[in-house]
Amino acid sequence: MKIALLATLLASAPRLAWAAPPADQPWTLEASNWQDGKDLLPEPVLKHLQKGEYWFKVVPVDAKKFHDNYAKKFWDLTAANEGKYDLDEATCGLKDKATGKNPDFVVGMPFPKVDAGDPQAACKIAWNFTFAGNGAGGGGATFTLNGIDSGGEFRRIKAFVHTMGYQGRLDGKLKENPENLEGQGVTAALEPQDVEGFSALTKRYWDWDSQDAIWAYVPQTRRARRVNAATRSEPVQGLDIFADDLNCYGGKVEYYKWKLVGQGNILAPVVQPYPFQMKQVNRSRYVIQTPYEKAGYEIPGSKGAPWWIHDNLVFVQRPVWIVEGQSSDPYYNFGKVIMYFDREMYRIYWKLVHNRAGEYFYTAACGYHFVKNDDTFSAVFPSLVIGVNDKINRAAIGGRYQSSFIERNWDPNYFSLRTLTHMSD
Amino acid sequence: MTVRGTVLLVGLLAALLAYLWLGELRPRHGRARAKAIPTLLVAAPAEVTRIDLEEQGKRLVAIRRDGKWVDPEGHAWRGDAVGDLLDTLGTLSPVMVVDADPAEPSDYGLGPDTPRLRLMAAQGKELLSLEIGERNPAWTGLYARLAGQREVILVGAVLHWELEKLRDAAPEHEKP
Repeated sequence: MKIALLATLLASAPRLAWAAPPADQPWTLEASNWQDGKDLLPEPVLKHLQKGEYWFKVVPVDAKKFHDNYAKKFWDLTAANEGKYDLDEATCGLKDKATGKNPDFVVGMPFPKVDAGDPQAACKIAWNFTFAGNGAGGGGATFTLNGIDSGGEFRRIKAFVHTMGYQGRLDGKLKENPENLEGQGVTAALEPQDVEGFSALTKRYWDWDSQDAIWAYVPQTRRARRVNAATRSEPVQGLDIFADDLNCYGGKVEYYKWKLVGQGNILAPVVQPYPFQMKQVNRSRYVIQTPYEKAGYEIPGSKGAPWWIHDNLVFVQRPVWIVEGQSSDPYYNFGKVIMYFDREMYRIYWKLVHNRAGEYFYTAACGYHFVKNDDTFSAVFPSLVIGVNDKINRAAIGGRYQSSFIERNWDPNYFSLRTLTHMSD
Repeated sequence: MTVRGTVLLVGLLAALLAYLWLGELRPRHGRARAKAIPTLLVAAPAEVTRIDLEEQGKRLVAIRRDGKWVDPEGHAWRGDAVGDLLDTLGTLSPVMVVDADPAEPSDYGLGPDTPRLRLMAAQGKELLSLEIGERNPAWTGLYARLAGQREVILVGAVLHWELEKLRDAAPEHEKP
């Protein structure tokens, strides 16, 4: 991590040893020109690049067009939030300046301007990240989790996730929120047979100190039991991927102590730099088709790491905040987590994870796609996570769905224990 | 019950107690001891008054003055990197002893030119002196050696991260 200064120096210094990559043309970062990625990738990723295991199709991006991946309405609401919100110092909870309490409803990013010198900058970054991803208000997809080692795929799980948000909805505040939720979700395994029917219900409360309520349903016992929120840091079905990898951070903002440690530029994985269109299929549901991101293990005789994505994933250079996050929950398996947040779009593209003994063991690359039809509505989806356990040289890919949907009018009763217990009937 | 029967029962009880002690209680006590591996910095971070990082013939120095970290000329260190390093050293224990008696310490990146980290308390009392070697092949940790010891230990790579932050936070003219 040679943060801002080194990046600036290198960007402006004349390159004597190799030609600079073109700024306005697509180019490939690979082992032969790895120096060009020296300040654009986290160190463990750079190591894979040097060894020829990874390469990056870098595409130029128009900064204004990329900014417009979020609808004008979202940016207007964000600008209107200037000066409205503050933070609870003890918990990093979001506070309405007018009332000193948790705000009733927030839409758009709560902190349109973040000053790097602000001691609470990292916490504000985390809140902007949360609300940048909440705009759609709900949706879902059927996706796969693929466990991959040097010999190829060793396990494949097919599952679905459905989510409903109460906070951050571009469509506005829902009239009823009797449980005072920020959001809720249902996820269930569909294949293979040995995990079919395993499902979970999560409810995230809109307050500063409650833990997520998570119930896991095991079809063999026909019982749903409450599990600790720290299970988000446990491997999903023994794979090298974690529930907290969704969007590269899946927890409540208040769970972590956040610290801004630098700024830089990073290569950000996206399915394509500009938005996909969504197609309305009924009064409230919109479907988005995206291409499948094929990985090395699916291509006979391919080069590189078997988990590296070959098709339909490109990289754009983005300015980032470099932020550390650490949970104080003794049951949480991660130690220090280092995350790279887009300074404008507030997505996390990479995270490096240490265990509680301080050993680095895991990197997640989080790829996204944007959805927008007009100036009034947009969404950003986590398309895939490439989770690489460098300690044991194994990986998992999560996501890679080809069809997803936005649901703007979920029946809240769907997100219930009844749904879990009746799913395998 | 006969005397012989009573003796047999007492013997059986003694055997059970011995089993409980040897098989269950003593190892558990041992495990508790094993968990208490000291951290690299045993003293409280607040006791540290000076940090020296010597590498490639250059030395970065942080001195605690009036609650702030400055270099010997009084220039302030930026951000929280110095405090973060101390906090990390205060919680970081060696992951394992990699080599108790290395024939070639240079195999671990340990030699005369190895970066050295020294932490001192008031009156120059040394709290930690650590030679910092190379990263292990998986980059999960760093090889290191405590001053005066031969054994090579592995410490978590979070130390590498904190040292990078420290280098970046040095007052401009001090940067290596």
